[in-house]
Formats: sequence, structure tokens, C-alpha cells
Amino acid sequence: MTDLMRILIAPLVWLAAFSVVYGLHGLICEHGIEGAVTGLPMQRFLLITAYAFAVLIQVALLTVLYHPRLASPSRFVRFVSHATGWTGLVATAWALLPVVMTTYCA
Amino acid sequence: MRALERHRKLTAIWASEPGFRGWFSTVNHTDLGRMFLVTAFFFFIVGGLLAMLIRAQLATPHSAFAGPEIYNQIFTMHGTIMMFLFAIPTFEGLAVYLLPKILGTRDLAFPRLTAYGYWCYVFGGTMLLFAMLFGIAPDGGWFMYPPLTGAIYSPGINTDFWLIGITFVEISAIAAAVEITVSILKYRAPGMSLDKMPIFAWYALITALMILTGFPPLILGSVLLEVERAFGLPFFQAELGGDSLLWQHLFWLFGHPEVYIIFLPAAGVISTVLPVMCRTTLLGYGWIVAAAVTLAFLSFGLWVHHMFTTGIPHMGLAFFSAASTLVAVPTGVQIFAWIGTMWQGRPELRLPMLHLLGFFFTFVIGGLTGVMVAVVPFDWQAHDTAFITAHLHYVLFGGFVFPIFAGIYYWMPHFTGRRQFFRLGEFAFSLVFIGFHVTFLAMHWVGLLGQRRRIPTYAPEDGWTTINLISSVGSFVLAIGIAMSLIDVILQALTATRGRRNPWGAGTLEWAMITPAPAYNFASLPHITSREPLADEPDLATQLARGEGYLATPRHGLRETLMVDVASGKPEMHVVYPANTRLPILMSAVTGLFFLSLLLKFYWTVPLALTGVAYLAWRWVWGQDRKNDLGPVAVGHGIALPNAAETDRSPGWWGSVFLLTANATFFGSLLFGFAFLWTVAPGWPPPVWFVASLGELVIGLLGAALGPVAMRHATVASRRGDNPMPGLFVALVGSAAVGIACTAMMARTPSPEAHAYGATLFVLGSYGLFHAALVALMTSFLIARLAYGFTSSMHRAEFAIVRLWISYLSLIGALVLLAGHLPGLLS
Repeated sequence: MTDLMRILIAPLVWLAAFSVVYGLHGLICEHGIEGAVTGLPMQRFLLITAYAFAVLIQVALLTVLYHPRLASPSRFVRFVSHATGWTGLVATAWALLPVVMTTYCA
Repeated sequence: MRALERHRKLTAIWASEPGFRGWFSTVNHTDLGRMFLVTAFFFFIVGGLLAMLIRAQLATPHSAFAGPEIYNQIFTMHGTIMMFLFAIPTFEGLAVYLLPKILGTRDLAFPRLTAYGYWCYVFGGTMLLFAMLFGIAPDGGWFMYPPLTGAIYSPGINTDFWLIGITFVEISAIAAAVEITVSILKYRAPGMSLDKMPIFAWYALITALMILTGFPPLILGSVLLEVERAFGLPFFQAELGGDSLLWQHLFWLFGHPEVYIIFLPAAGVISTVLPVMCRTTLLGYGWIVAAAVTLAFLSFGLWVHHMFTTGIPHMGLAFFSAASTLVAVPTGVQIFAWIGTMWQGRPELRLPMLHLLGFFFTFVIGGLTGVMVAVVPFDWQAHDTAFITAHLHYVLFGGFVFPIFAGIYYWMPHFTGRRQFFRLGEFAFSLVFIGFHVTFLAMHWVGLLGQRRRIPTYAPEDGWTTINLISSVGSFVLAIGIAMSLIDVILQALTATRGRRNPWGAGTLEWAMITPAPAYNFASLPHITSREPLADEPDLATQLARGEGYLATPRHGLRETLMVDVASGKPEMHVVYPANTRLPILMSAVTGLFFLSLLLKFYWTVPLALTGVAYLAWRWVWGQDRKNDLGPVAVGHGIALPNAAETDRSPGWWGSVFLLTANATFFGSLLFGFAFLWTVAPGWPPPVWFVASLGELVIGLLGAALGPVAMRHATVASRRGDNPMPGLFVALVGSAAVGIACTAMMARTPSPEAHAYGATLFVLGSYGLFHAALVALMTSFLIARLAYGFTSSMHRAEFAIVRLWISYLSLIGALVLLAGHLPGLLS
């Protein structure tokens, strides 16, 4: 099961991060949050923070998957887990990119 | 022992009852796989006939062929049958038939569950067919959007048939998914590590996991809508704190992954058949596995792209638009791997290959139009037009029907032991291919001209007449082609001459047996050292028949097989399967009585049916074990393994893990629904809040904490040879405390009919109470087993299973009670 988890963990985290950011966006739009941080509206700041955090988690996961002591002993599982790890990172960076680019509650 | 003698002895042990009686008592995966496939294709014919009626209606303007009421039923049933009664069961049938054979074992993990799932599918499907024959079929579209399908706008029984019938059928899908997942992970030939698994098994594993996490949101949606219709709990009524958009979220949380649940098994067929047709090996096995995993996950992040026109804010749309474009990447990886496979091989244009080429041409077009509708501004224009209907048919027909026909023709010699004699199939393929593209290319066109979906007629001045006529002519060519294909298959099954084993020269294990397959599959189980064992050892079939593998000697009339380690495929346990029984059909009939009682509102028979299900479940589990300890069992090759009943990780434990995965998704969806209504739905806050009670909360939380601790104590006591009874009784008290706290919450919740808040709390409480009762039943079962001497310090599998369920009850019980009480206590 550990090998399966190595394969599934990055996409699973993507799914969780995607749901959390989408949920956060819903909450922000339903409950008007006021204020600004470092020149950014609070809503945008919260979304960007969540986005950055999600990307960081994916980078950390990828590092773990490449670490010789933590990687799978099976060459096949190592390959597939690296591929899904990169997928998790790219998918997080791409699918949540709208938090820095589009209007949030319009 | 000689090979023939071994064959006779194994056949006597594994065979189903002779004649038609065997249909009702068989638990053999070969029989049930064939039965699944035949039934699924029966429904395919019915769904196809309905499609012909739709095209007859739309062939000309002002057609008087069917009135709007009947037309609504026709298109609803067409979509429902094709999605739920054809596509998913075809995957189940193929997986049930093939998996033990390609994995090198003798049956699936839970043979009686396979039979139970099959009969639930048959009974549920029959309910829907009867509804259609009596003119009371569902008529709200295959997606059943409220408020149209609410009690106000659809007061008849039609919608109830869909909600209850489909939920019944989905039991079959969940059962099959648990079965398939555990079988692939644990029931493989020794030595078959993850990298040596046949590619079809990877696809089936991913699909099964998707069913376990994709279907529960729809089951939840169906339960909530039916409860709203039957008892007036307003989950989807905006004026009472509900929201019809909640249905759309729950439906498409299932509905979009459903597309990939249909496509991925077909991709598994392609990845298996294509290399054989091209006389080569699959290019990029690892890339394909990674792409399939990625596709599965991404498909769960796309559901809102079916809801682009519902007024969701731009950023929300952009998330799902981005994710929708992303999904083209892993799909592209697979397509390029298949093209590369063709490039490196020598493709032979035999019948399965023709269907694969049909897939390539059609599916790529469907994928490209998919990218078009992933772009929000285009989707706003094309939404709910015939363009979408055409797109989804390109994806589903191209991505499922062509590959499945390729698979049927490829494995036909295996199903029947005969070779293709008539050449009807090639001509039929050309009719199917031409007919399909004429029908649906035209439909793209008329959609872009503005023709809406689901309309029963149109006016001549709309300018759609000629295109619709072309589309209808094409559909009839397609229907003739499919009819000819089915006739070809039937002729081959009944009249063709005997063929030789492995006619395609394939390398996978299913061809290392006599065909049609014997009931036991392999006379002895192989040891696997490569991904294509038969290609490396052409004599493997003879070696296995001679008994050179594992479990070669039939003993005590037992149906035996092995379980292995998930990653390495190292042999781990010895398993004894149950024999033929009518228990599955009986239990599915009683389950059907429960659903029928709800449908017809005979509520007095509901507790009767539930008691019947509980009694049969008790008998089901009670009869599958023995009192004496087996100790290590010799399985061949000098290895002795413990019996599964004498381990902590028995088949039942693994099955429970994946059933609880589906269950947790259901519960998670319920919590999502609660949060969605609370934050998004109009009509909040509710007029009355639930009055929290610290006493009730503490009693429930103490019970939730006590159960797992007491159960752990009982498990340890049993293993040491001490008396586990005190621990079991305390665990029983713990689950009773959770049940009492949930009941109190249900009793005191503000009127569930008055507002969605009270309704949701009531459902949450019911969920907790149901699980408390279930765990109490399981603990009582364990106490009875102990009293009758079925457990010992070695015989411990049942303790681990009950412990798992108590831990789950503890978790959800605490969450349910906190969701109810905490807001009140904090405020």
C-alpha cells in the first residue's frame, strides 16, 4: 500500500488543494471580507497565500518522492510516482493560476 | 496426478450447478461475467431502440410520432440505460470475466458479492424497464435536475423510479468496485509485482477506485431528492433554505468522473488489444499507468464545467476551465503511446483492429470538441444545444463502444472456444463507422445553428430539416450495423467451428488455459516473472495443467486460492472460497423489496425488508468459516501459508477498507452539502437553530471514544487467549451511546420540513444512528461467534474487521454530533 500511496499522493493533494481553494473562494465571495495586506485586497491576498501554500506542498512532496531514503525500492513505482508528482505540481500551478489573474467575485 | 484427473477433480469442486438452476446459484466469475455482458448488451439494444425513436421523431419537423410526454420519457430512458445499465455493467462484466484470468488466479475476492451485485443490477434494471412499459418511466432527463424533478413540478411516480431504481443499480457498481479493487491488489499470481501487472488490470483498478469515490455523491443526491419528494425535507427548495444548485454539484461530482469511468476500461482494452494486433509490445507502459492515474484525479476537478451557465463567479469558472484543458494532456500521452505502439509494430487489419481505428478517428474528434467546450465563452454559446449531444456521443461512442467491440471480437474465441467463421463483422463495422459519423457530424452542425437539446420537434422555418433528416438516415445505418455485429457475435458463439488456443498469439495469462475457460481457470497457479508470461514461456499452459504451479492438488473439495502482497506479489495467505449458493439472489430480492417498498410507499414493509437483509447478511457471514484452526497450509513450491481467517488482514478486512472509502465519500459529500447550503443557499439563517446540549454531546463523544479502545482491548485479549467478552460488551455500550446521542439530535432538531437546516441535521443524525446500529449488529455477531467457539487466539480475522467499523463509527459519530451541537455551544 505504501507504493500505491507514493503513486497517488501528489494528485490526491492536488485534489484537496483545488477543493480548498475553490471552497475558500466561495466563502470569500459569500462573506464580504474587508481590508488590505501589502497593497493587495484581503480577498486576493488570502487566495494567493493558499495558492502559494499549495504549490509549496507539491514541491515538498516531489522532493520527498525523489529522496533516495524515502523513494520506492521498485524502479517502476519510482518512475510512476515521479510522473504523478510532477503532474501534481503542474496541475496545482496551472489550475489555480486564476487566483492571480481574474476577478474573484464578479 | 495426471492432468486429466486433476481437471476432473477441479471441475467437480468449482463447477456451477448444471442447467438453468446454475444461473441462480452460481458464484463463479466466468459465469457471472458472461451473464453481466449478455444482460448489458440486452440493455444496449433497448437503449438503441429508444435512440431510433428519438431520431424518427426528429427526422422531420412537426413529427407526430410521439407527444412531448412520451418523448421526454424516451430520451431520459435512452441516456439512463446507456449510462447506468449498459456502459458501467459492460465494464463490470468484462472485468469480472477477465481479471482472475489475466491475474493468474481462480476467482475474484468475493464470489458471492459478484453474484449479489449482478442480481441487484438485474432487478434494478427490470424496475426501470417495467416503468417504461407502463408509460411511467422517468422523464426529467438523465441528470434529473430539480426543481423540475421536485414534487411540485413532477408529482407522479416517474422520477421516483429513476431515483430509487438507479440507487438500487448503483449497489451493483459499488459491490463490483470493491470486488475489483481487492482482487487486483491482493488476488494475483505469485510473483506478479505491480510492474508486471497486465495493463488492463491497472485501468480496472483505477476505474474501480473512481467508482468508489465518484458514485457516492450521486447516491447521496438521489437519497436527498427522494426524501424531499416523499417526506418534504426541502434540500433543493430555495424558499426553504435549500438550493437546486446543490443537486447539480452532487450530480456532476459523479457525472464528470463517470465519463472517465466509462473511457478508462475501454482504454484498458485498447492497451491490451492494440499491441497484439500490431505484433509488438505496448510502448510506454509506465507513462500510460501515470497518465491513467492522472486522468482519474483530474476528472474529479472538472465537474463545474457542466455548470458554466449557472452564474458562478468568473474565478470559479476559470479554475474549472483551466482544469478542463489540463485533462487533454494525459489523454494525449495515452493516444501518443498507442500511436507509437502502432509505429513500432506491424499492424494487421483484423476485425478488432478495425474497431480500434474507428476509436482513434472518433475519439480524437470528441476530445477536440471537448477542449472547445472547456473554453467558457464557447460553452456559453453551445450549452444545451445539439452540439453538446454530438460531442458527448463522439466521446462515449468513440471512447467506449468502438473499443468494447474490439474487445468483444478479441476475446470472443476465449468466451466461446470458437473462431470467427462468417465475415459479417467487417461489413458491419463499415456501416457502424459511416452511420455514426453521418449521424453525429450532422448533429454538431445543427447544434451550431441553434437547435436545442431534448426538443421533441422544430419548425420548418428553423432551417434544420435537411440536417436532421441526414442525421436520422445516418442513425438507421448505424443501427443496422450494430444489429449485424450482434448477429455476427451470436453466429460465432453458436455455430462456428472450434478454434485453437490463443489464436492471436497474445502474451497475457488468460490465453494459458483451455477455451472456453474451465470453472477453476488454472489447474495450478503460475509464478510470474514477466509482464507477458505466455510470450516468454509458450509452454506455460501445459506446465500449469500438469500441476507445476501452486495449489496443484485438489483437497477436501475446497475452492482454494492465494492472496499476495500488494507491491511485490509475494504469496501471503491461503484462501478458501464459498461454494455455490442461492443466498446472493435471495438477498438482492429482499434488497429489492426494500427499494420497491419505498417506491410504492408501502412503508410498513420497509422494516420487514431491512430485517430480512440483516438476517441474510448474518447467515452470509456466519456460514463462511470453520471452528477448527487450520494452521500453516502447504500451497506448493515448498511454501506454507496461514489461512486468511487466521490473519488480521483477511479479504473481509480489505473489502471493508474500500467499502468504507465509498462510505466516507458519501459522508464527505453530505458535509459538503451542509456547508454549501449554509454558505451559498438563499433563505439562511434558518428561523430556528438547534438547541445544543452539552450532556448529549458528551455522552456521544464518550461512546465514540470508548468503542475503539474497548475493541482493541478485546482483540488483544483474544490473541493472548484471554476472555475478550468484557471488551466486546463495553464496545457495544459505546456504539449504543453514539446511537442514543444521534437519536436525541434527530428528535430535537428543528422541524426538518420547515427548513433545509433541520432537514440536513436530521439526515446527519440518521447517518450516525444507522452506523451505530450496524456496528452494534456486528459486535453482537462477534459475541455470538465467540459463544459458539468460532474464534480463537489464531482465528482472529473477524476482530480486525469489527474494529475497523467501530473506528469508522467513532469518527463519523463524533463529526455528526459536533456538526449539530458545536455551533450552538460556541454561540
